[in-house]
Order: sequence, then structure tokens, then C-alpha cells
Amino acid sequence: MSDAIVVDGLVKRYGSVEAVAGISFSVPRGTVFGLLGRNGAGKTTTLECCIGIGRPTAGSVRVLGLDPTRPQGLARLRPRIGVQLQATSLPEKANVGEVLELYAAYYGIAPRAAEMAARVGLDGKLTRQVAQMSGGEQQRLALALALQHDPEVLFLDEPTAGMDAFGRRILWGEVERLRDGGKTIVLTTHYIEEAERLSDRICIMQRGKIVAEDAPAELVARYGGDATVCIEAEGFVPDEALQSLGTWTKTGAEWTLATRTEPGLALAAVVTRANALNAKIASLDLHRPTLEDAFIAITGETIGETE
Amino acid sequence: MNLLRMFFVQTKMHFVWYFRRDGEMIFWTLVMPVFFLVLFSYAFSDGTTSRSSAFLVPGIIGAQVLSSGFWGVGVMLATFREKHLLRRVYITPMPAWVFFASLVVYRMTLLAAQAVLLIAAGALLFHVRLLGNPLEILAILLLGTATFVSLGTIIGAVTRTTESANNIASILTVPLAFLSDAYVPIDRFPHAVSSALRLLPSTEFIDTFRDVSIYGAPLGHYGAWIAALFVWMIGGTVISARTFRWV
Repeated sequence: MSDAIVVDGLVKRYGSVEAVAGISFSVPRGTVFGLLGRNGAGKTTTLECCIGIGRPTAGSVRVLGLDPTRPQGLARLRPRIGVQLQATSLPEKANVGEVLELYAAYYGIAPRAAEMAARVGLDGKLTRQVAQMSGGEQQRLALALALQHDPEVLFLDEPTAGMDAFGRRILWGEVERLRDGGKTIVLTTHYIEEAERLSDRICIMQRGKIVAEDAPAELVARYGGDATVCIEAEGFVPDEALQSLGTWTKTGAEWTLATRTEPGLALAAVVTRANALNAKIASLDLHRPTLEDAFIAITGETIGETE
Repeated sequence: MNLLRMFFVQTKMHFVWYFRRDGEMIFWTLVMPVFFLVLFSYAFSDGTTSRSSAFLVPGIIGAQVLSSGFWGVGVMLATFREKHLLRRVYITPMPAWVFFASLVVYRMTLLAAQAVLLIAAGALLFHVRLLGNPLEILAILLLGTATFVSLGTIIGAVTRTTESANNIASILTVPLAFLSDAYVPIDRFPHAVSSALRLLPSTEFIDTFRDVSIYGAPLGHYGAWIAALFVWMIGGTVISARTFRWV
């Protein structure tokens, strides 16, 4: 069995609202799967159905071959998964060391409070109370709780929301390290950069549906559109060789090449041609398609911060 | 072994958090009850404070048992759910019964401490003497606590927010404390009323607790009321188990 997670025809309705409208995907073991989408796209609901918090209205979910919607399946699954929830859900009056000790007891493992605190950048803060910690610090403690028992599958729900750059670096480092160690990770995010950097495969969700799913580079190649090279140079005209690279348009004094070839090489060719023509370059620009371009092309909207 | 450690660490945390709540918990569970004892012992005295105090010591302990179940457990569970603490615990391997057993033991220990404090205050300030068998006193106290924790859990199960749990707990706790022989003897009401009030689990518990602790009545004489408390406890547990939601 090579898939850690298999979701098939998952539907989740809250009253008349369809939060997840029939989605299917599978996550191979040892890979990072990113659920990318706006707030309210159904990412969290999907994740909740994988960990037994949400009961699917229809469809099936298997994690490590177990059914989280059945009590026996969930009981066997719990020790093998680690979860970082979106809403910080830690006891306010507890301190860092106590929370880690408590969760070590929940999982029946030896406490590793000092080690785990250091791992998430909370070293020396074992006696700091949750209520006195910043949102980012609480998120990092929540990450430590998800990791402490060394789970096979990790679910991270908007793990870096509210985190500063320091926290984000720690989390990204952990995800990369865990993936290299063969763990399977599902993360939801509305940060395109995060999804692109961490995910082996990205699943873009919109209004409860999956609208695209592929490796980040493939999504960009397929939906990101052309790369462009822009040049403004007195007397510059593309020759036949340059014309074969793509489509040239002229706006004012600026020539723009839209191309599917490697834009760096196209740029080099453009500069060579300009030099050959003795055309003095006033401006030169290159734009590679990004995952954001692909996201906009796929969903017809920017990811934004809107609800 | 793992379950035992889980239970032990969780229970320990309840106490750590209890003492860390800026003294607020200590005030409500230890200072206020003694203050009520002193105040009401004089207010309700018919010349000798020792008689009113002898009535009040078990009555206030009983009222504390009620609020421990309704506030301490019921409202706390609603708060835990609202703050997403329950769902975080739910996805760990800790079995539900360990979570609840820890809560019950924490509350029982706290109530035993409250009882000792109130009994000591009654003895020192008003010469209240306990004639009952300590083991029987403890037994009925623990049965009452278990009963009201199980009934309080229903509040935590059926309410969505801390606010609504708070409202239900107040609506139940305050009138019940006055209608269940805790602060004022219900004998002063018309016979029909006081008979009806004796059907309440709170009255049955407080009266049994008072008779056994202060007057030294043998617990065995209260078989019917003990059976009734067991029925309330089991009923409360069944309803809680069926309605409780972690998310």
C-alpha cells in the first residue's frame, strides 16, 4: 500500500451549506500534499474529515488504511497521526513544559519537553505560560505537540497563519526534514509561496471542489501561461530566429516576447540581437509564470486575504 | 500503565491550573464558602449560632457539590469546547473515560478539601461537632459529587457556548441551593412543598449528608435516597454520554 491517504467522493454539508462538494484525491507515502485555496474553500473541513473531527456527509476517507469515521479505525489511527489545528487550542494556564509533558502522557511516550521546545525555537521558555505567549509562539508549541510522538502522518492546518518569519522558517525546515525522513504531510494554506515551496503535489480548492491537482511546476507549466521578455531599445527589431521563440508584440517603444521556452535563454538571445544591431538598451525585463499566475488562471480570482 | 500515567498527569494538571488561576478559584471554592458559613450562622441564628451553624456546615458543603458539578464541570466543558481544547484532546489517544475520570477525581479531591475546611471552621468558630462515621461521611460526599458531576456534564454536553452554559448553571444552582435544605430548612415551607422538594436529588443528597455527618445517623438508613442518587447518577451519565460532543 503506497498511499497514506485516500479520499473518495468526500462530501460535507453543514445544513444547506456544502463545505466540501465531492472531492477525491490520494496522497502517496513520504510526500507533502498541499491543499491551497481561499478561506472557506473547504480545506479545513477536508482535513477535519481525515482526522475524525468531521463526519463526512458522503464519500469515504482512509488514512493509513484505517477509517477515521469509525471508532475502532480512529482509535488505531490516533497514535500514528500528528495534528496542528488552526485555532490555537492550548490550555492557557499551562506552561510550555507542562503541555509537552501532558501530551507525552497522552501518547504514552517519554517526555521530551526540552528537546521539543528547542526544536520549535522555544528553548529556555519551558516555564512560559501559554496565556503569556504570542500567537506565533503558541503555533510553534502546537507544532511541537503534533511532532512529539513522531507520527507517520502529519496534518497541518494553516500552520504558519499569524507566524512571523522566524516561526515560518522553523516550520518549513521541519516539514522538509520530516519529508526527507519519509513522513507523509498534509498541509492547508492560503500562502502560495508556502504551498509551492513545501508541496510535492498541490491541490487547489475552490468552493468545496478540487479545481486542479498536480506538482507545483506542472501547475505553473500548464496553467501559468507564457513567460515574457520585454525590451526597450532604440532600433531593436526581432529577427527570424527570435520570432521563432514565440509571439512578439510592440507597445510604444517596448517589444514583448511571450514564450514557452526557457525565458533566460530567450533573454540572452534578445540581448545578443540588440548588441548586434547596436541598439542601446533602455530597459530589459523578464517575467516567469508563477504559481500565483496559475492560481488566477485556474480559479479566476486572486487568493487574497478575503473571507 | 500508560493509562495510569495519562490519568495521573492529567489530574495533576487540573490542580496545577487550579492554583494558577490568579486566586480566583481559591476565592470561590475556599474563601467564599467559609464567609457564607460565618455570615449565615449569625443571620439564621435563633439565639445560639451552634445550631444554625450545624445546619449550615453540611448545607454549604452540599451547595458546593452542586456548583462543582454545574459550574466546575458543566461550564468548564463548554468553555473547553468553545476554545477548541476538547477537539485537540479528542484527536489524541487518550480514551474519553480517562479524561472524565480525571475530572471526577479532581472535583472529588477538591470537595473533600472544601469539606474539611468547612468542618474545621464550624468546629473552631461555632463548636459544631460531627457525630458520624468518617468513612460514611466520605462515601455519601463522593456519591453526591459523582451524581452532580454527571448531571453537570449534561450542561456541558448540550450547550454550545460558555455563555449559555453559564446561564443554565446559574438558573439551576442558585434556586436549588435555597430549595434543597442547603441554606434554609425546607421544613418551614408548607408540607406539600417540602415533600415535593425532597424528590430533588440535591435535597436527597444534602439531607442524607447532614443526617449522616452531623447527627451520626447510619448511612444504611437512607437506602432509598442513596438508590435514588445512583439512579440520577447513572441517568446523568447515560444522557451525557449520548449527547456529549467533542467539537
